[in-house]
Amino acid sequence: MSGLRSFMSSVQNLLALIFVGSIFVVAIAAPWIAPLHDPENPSSYKVVEGRLEVFPLEPKSEIPLGTVIYYRSSTGEMTLLHFDVFHSLIWGTRSVLRFGLITALSAAFIGVVVGALSGYLGGVVNTVIMRITDAFLAFPVISGVLLFRLIMDLTGLSLLDYETFNPIKIPETPFQSLVLRLGLDPVMITLILFSWMAYARMTNANVLALKHMDFTTAARSMGASNLYVIIRHMIPNAITQNIVLVARDIGGLVVLQAAFAFIGISGTVYSNAIPEWSRLLMLGRTWVIGQGGNPLIFWWTYIPVTLAFILFGVSWNMLGDGLNAVLNPRTRRKIMGMKY
Amino acid sequence: VPSFLKFLIRRLLFMVVTFLVVTALLYGLLMLAPVEARALLYVPQGARVITTKSIQNIIELHQLNDPYPLQYVRWLTNLFRGDWGWSPSLGEDVLQAMLRRTPVTAELTLYSILLFIPMGLVSGVLAGRRQGHRWDHGFRFAAFIATSIPPFILGLVLIALFYVGLRWFPVGRLSVAKKFVVDSITFQTFTGLITIDGVINRRLDVTLDALRHLVLPVFTLSLAHWATLGRVMRATVIEELGKEYIIAARARGIWANRILWRHALRNALPPALNSIALSAATLVTGVFVVEVIFTLPGVSQPLNTAIAYTPDISAAMGFAVFGIILVLLLMILLDVILAIVNPRIQEEVLT
Repeated sequence: MSGLRSFMSSVQNLLALIFVGSIFVVAIAAPWIAPLHDPENPSSYKVVEGRLEVFPLEPKSEIPLGTVIYYRSSTGEMTLLHFDVFHSLIWGTRSVLRFGLITALSAAFIGVVVGALSGYLGGVVNTVIMRITDAFLAFPVISGVLLFRLIMDLTGLSLLDYETFNPIKIPETPFQSLVLRLGLDPVMITLILFSWMAYARMTNANVLALKHMDFTTAARSMGASNLYVIIRHMIPNAITQNIVLVARDIGGLVVLQAAFAFIGISGTVYSNAIPEWSRLLMLGRTWVIGQGGNPLIFWWTYIPVTLAFILFGVSWNMLGDGLNAVLNPRTRRKIMGMKY
Repeated sequence: VPSFLKFLIRRLLFMVVTFLVVTALLYGLLMLAPVEARALLYVPQGARVITTKSIQNIIELHQLNDPYPLQYVRWLTNLFRGDWGWSPSLGEDVLQAMLRRTPVTAELTLYSILLFIPMGLVSGVLAGRRQGHRWDHGFRFAAFIATSIPPFILGLVLIALFYVGLRWFPVGRLSVAKKFVVDSITFQTFTGLITIDGVINRRLDVTLDALRHLVLPVFTLSLAHWATLGRVMRATVIEELGKEYIIAARARGIWANRILWRHALRNALPPALNSIALSAATLVTGVFVVEVIFTLPGVSQPLNTAIAYTPDISAAMGFAVFGIILVLLLMILLDVILAIVNPRIQEEVLT
């Protein structure tokens, strides 16, 4: 309980809780904050119609944050659509939150399982597994995202035979069809694949330290199975630091995904997998440098989204820091006012 | 020093193993694609168009239906032979394309490291010296802001402010006038790093121009890493200062600043440098993102063309391998620095 009290006593932690809480509130209350235009056909994008303006529309009462321009070329000719920024920002909270939670929690799960198992088995097995984990650390995520994107793109009609001008038939591999059928985001998969290592290393170090402690020996002597000892004793004892890392990763991974979308390697602006906020950012970046080099002329096209990303990252980071101060045994003592 | 040499060999061996594991993983990822797609990795030199027939030929020629280990070993042998494949979208040999752009990437990486490592160490020590002091609060706030702003957004804002608005720092690598100088016969290329070549050629104006172009990208890249390093440093210095040998040193009347910068700093260094080594891959990802944002013609320049027009697997694979090599080089560099600063590390690795 003292942990909880010390957590709440800090203004920063309180702020973090309020921020993260309000992200969840916005995500849940989206239908009330930004009512759907057409409830039959729910969409996280609201098209502001009846306008032939080539510049983004200024904010006014019914579009609180103006619009951003989206060119659709699917019907053969270009149509210009105005997307309501505010609407997508509110509804986008859901997908961003989902992205962060799924990615960070999956990475944590893989990492904890690998780290705990390897640490428990120990010896040569542990050395080998942890060396492989370390090797994963040498892989730049950006290459992974790029390659994965290419792999997913290279099916069906993506290649043209330059002699006959027929599409080259490329059959889907079982893996590709699985990803497509489940509607998984390639960027998400790659980020999971390359961010479990920190969890594995941390859990592993903890498990190795816990392995020879008295309570583990006691459990073993009473005939507890390996699996039981791992699940019941090792993981709970090694889990606290992982919670801190999950909180930080949720913010960090969402921002990283936005960076990849921004530089255009995670898909084009038309791809379905791109979360709304990232798409807003991709649409808004062309308006950063307005007429006469004034970056503030079309401020609503990119500043609200940018702030949303920053706020999202900051909130989770702050929560992580706060949790770290409470859960990390090394710093805990100081917070509770004890001297060592 | 023989023990240092032993340490170095040990680390290099580890790097080789890491390289093998990671490239195996890379090729494994590629194996998830259908064989017709993988054939694009082996497009023959000079090929500009792809046909169904040529794809079938490649599959037969390179035996792409073989089991994964065989293919991986063959691909790896080619890699070591310098045959990184041909990229249709670049119209160039992949290895050549990468090497030609390396100096730009090297310059960006090098200057960022030279900026953020010393800054991070010093500010971490200053903040950790007195916990809760004004300096400490200031640092923690700055570090918090620095880690909270996504680098690509920071880059965007900096471009808007300093390039478009104030016209202080341009994007790209060189201004047009200086590019003429560099491309002329009288300007000799020694290292490929324009800032250094400019000094050797006694054209300080070229160096200054190149540096001016580097200010924004280097700052963007360094900021978040400075904050992370500073935080680790602060935490370890605080921990270190609470230890008994510090009290003993104080009792002997050693000057507080000397204790801080000599004793505490040295012992606090390993975790800090280790944290950079562990995040070397993040650093390299950052380098590539920053290159794209500031339109630096570095290694990541082919990226966008490679995905935008034709799906170019050989360029993507070349880019990935190059990134891995860059990460490993950074790790070795940090290891060596660490071993020189704190000799105890050498023994730890050897035992």
